[in-house]
Amino acid sequence: MDESAIIEPADKWQRLAPISILYFVASGIKHAANNLIYTLPAFAVSYSSIKNNPEIWLPAVLGTIGLIALVSFLHYFFYTFRLANDTVEIRSGVFSKKHIDLPFTRIQNVTLEQPIYYRPFGYTCMQLDTAGSAKQEAKIVALPLAVAEELKTFILEKVESSIDESTSEQISSDKKEVIINTRSIGDLIIHGITNNRVWIILGVLAPLYDEVIEFAMPVLESVGIDFKAWFDADTHTIWMLGLTALALTFFAMMCIALLSIFGSILIFYDFTLSKSEGKYIRRSGLLTKQEINMRLTRLQMVVSKQDWLDVLLKRINLELRQNSSGVRSANDLSMMSNKIIVPSVKPHECQEIIEDAFPTSNLSQIEYQAISKRFIWRQIILWLMPLTLLFTGIHFANGQATSVSMLGLLAVPLVLGLIYCRWKRWGFAKDQHYFYVRKGLLGVDYYCFPIHKVQQTAFKQSLMMKRNHLGSVQFILASGGVEVPFMPEVSAMNMIDSALFEVESKKKSWM
Amino acid sequence: MSEIIPFSNKAINTDSLPSVAELVTEPMNEKYRPVNLGTIVVFSAIFITIMSLTRFQMLFELPKELINAYPYALAIVLTITTLLLAYTFFADPKKRFALRENDIHYESGLFFRKIVSQPILRIQHVELKRGPIERLFDLASLQVFSAGGSMHTFEIPGLAHEQAVAMRKFILAHKDTLSHG
Repeated sequence: MDESAIIEPADKWQRLAPISILYFVASGIKHAANNLIYTLPAFAVSYSSIKNNPEIWLPAVLGTIGLIALVSFLHYFFYTFRLANDTVEIRSGVFSKKHIDLPFTRIQNVTLEQPIYYRPFGYTCMQLDTAGSAKQEAKIVALPLAVAEELKTFILEKVESSIDESTSEQISSDKKEVIINTRSIGDLIIHGITNNRVWIILGVLAPLYDEVIEFAMPVLESVGIDFKAWFDADTHTIWMLGLTALALTFFAMMCIALLSIFGSILIFYDFTLSKSEGKYIRRSGLLTKQEINMRLTRLQMVVSKQDWLDVLLKRINLELRQNSSGVRSANDLSMMSNKIIVPSVKPHECQEIIEDAFPTSNLSQIEYQAISKRFIWRQIILWLMPLTLLFTGIHFANGQATSVSMLGLLAVPLVLGLIYCRWKRWGFAKDQHYFYVRKGLLGVDYYCFPIHKVQQTAFKQSLMMKRNHLGSVQFILASGGVEVPFMPEVSAMNMIDSALFEVESKKKSWM
Repeated sequence: MSEIIPFSNKAINTDSLPSVAELVTEPMNEKYRPVNLGTIVVFSAIFITIMSLTRFQMLFELPKELINAYPYALAIVLTITTLLLAYTFFADPKKRFALRENDIHYESGLFFRKIVSQPILRIQHVELKRGPIERLFDLASLQVFSAGGSMHTFEIPGLAHEQAVAMRKFILAHKDTLSHG
């Protein structure tokens, strides 16, 4: 395809490159897989009948493949787009037709995504996001990489020229792209260990555990591993049993950690965060290379997250959040593009990025005010007491101690400790331009946002809280809400009043 | 040379800010509570009628379990209706709103008080919502959308239609909405 022809105003409707069929196949399979999860219970129920008629598999599989191929081709066939008069128009859909008409000036965000099957051919997907609704979201499914880059620059320039001069002046000062942060494989391994996300995979596999064990046991026994002998209480003492269980748990956790590391590398491989012309660009990905662009003015909130393991290793997951409203569609790409995650950065790197994003903020030095101790009492009265009573009831009802009720009672001090930790972590602070919120349990998260970006505030108070002059505050931003419970009523009202004052008197744009 | 923009930046004592704690609020339209109570009674009556008609009709035989369950079901429906009526009776007067120069507020909640404040500057668009019952009694709900997302749509129910229209007009004519959209 001629590169310049695409950007020149051309009234012609054009079809995608045939390579895009691959994209439709992939999304078809993804769609089918998603639905498969819902049908898993049905499969489980009909499992025995399928087992009796194994010959049903082949036609079923062939049929599915054929269907996906046909649907993919139809999607490709009915997908046309044109770029004319600074507008993207996309017509798509097989049964339900969709016509998107998107002026360049309304585009908020351009995201490039390069799945692995596009890479040998130099193609990429281009996602165009708007501020408003999820419906007005366009995706040009296959574009040659060079054309996409050119088009992206073209669109972003259009967007820039349409916003007021004061911001664009600021922006044009640094045209060159500066790399702010990169992540090495080592960092990603740490990220994989500290942010275990494989539970999702384990959850999906849950219905198959029995099968797996049935399959695995003979194999393991054949290589000389005999679990029954390991756990035979007659031949082993209690501490040996405990040790064996511990070793096995440890082994399982190792496997899980490995999977998680793999996942982390898959997403964040070759991570770079750079800054160019007043926007952040994040690139990463092993199989699917993803590029997310975020204009600095769109940044709503900075969140630094540390789980307990992160606290020990002194690493931070930094999130730069932008407008996420309207992104309610199950579009995973746009879900990703509403925030930039910088995985497992060291504290000083984290601070550098925050200082770059919110130069006048004071996240590292600000002193937090604690919330009321009544927070602890509420948790105790609401959760701990009823549960304790329940377990005590079970404990004595049978006249004998069951192991469940024992465990339940033993957990009480533990839960009490956790509630205390939770209370201890809660904190709020405010300076001239920013609000800060601290929360967490064992780990700790810090939220920081400019006061003038607040969209809406809410004050909440139960009858008990009213009696004790306490209140909860919720701030809604375009990137979501932040809530602080059990603040002194005066501070809560004060924060709301100053937020409303800041928004209404300064009249600064939130975008 | 650019024009000289009048600029002032006096220190502001936060205690002197107009406070949400001292809002002067207005109640909902006087028809709002009776309409809500009436709606509950009517729906409950319809439900009970359908149940009883099914129970006492002669057209087809019902399973014995269903017939035995009838008094319990009736009791449950009546209890729920009573609770709903009591809650609405006491909770509706707690719903209040306030319109200030630069923001709108909506207060509600019997056990959990909640005051939502929406700066007019941040409003993206305004809608009037009127269901069939609201149309019948000339009421309307005012819905206000911000970039905070659909989860945080600001809504004031139980306004007189005329009043809601006036409020929408005020918001749309507000200079901040005009310049920031």
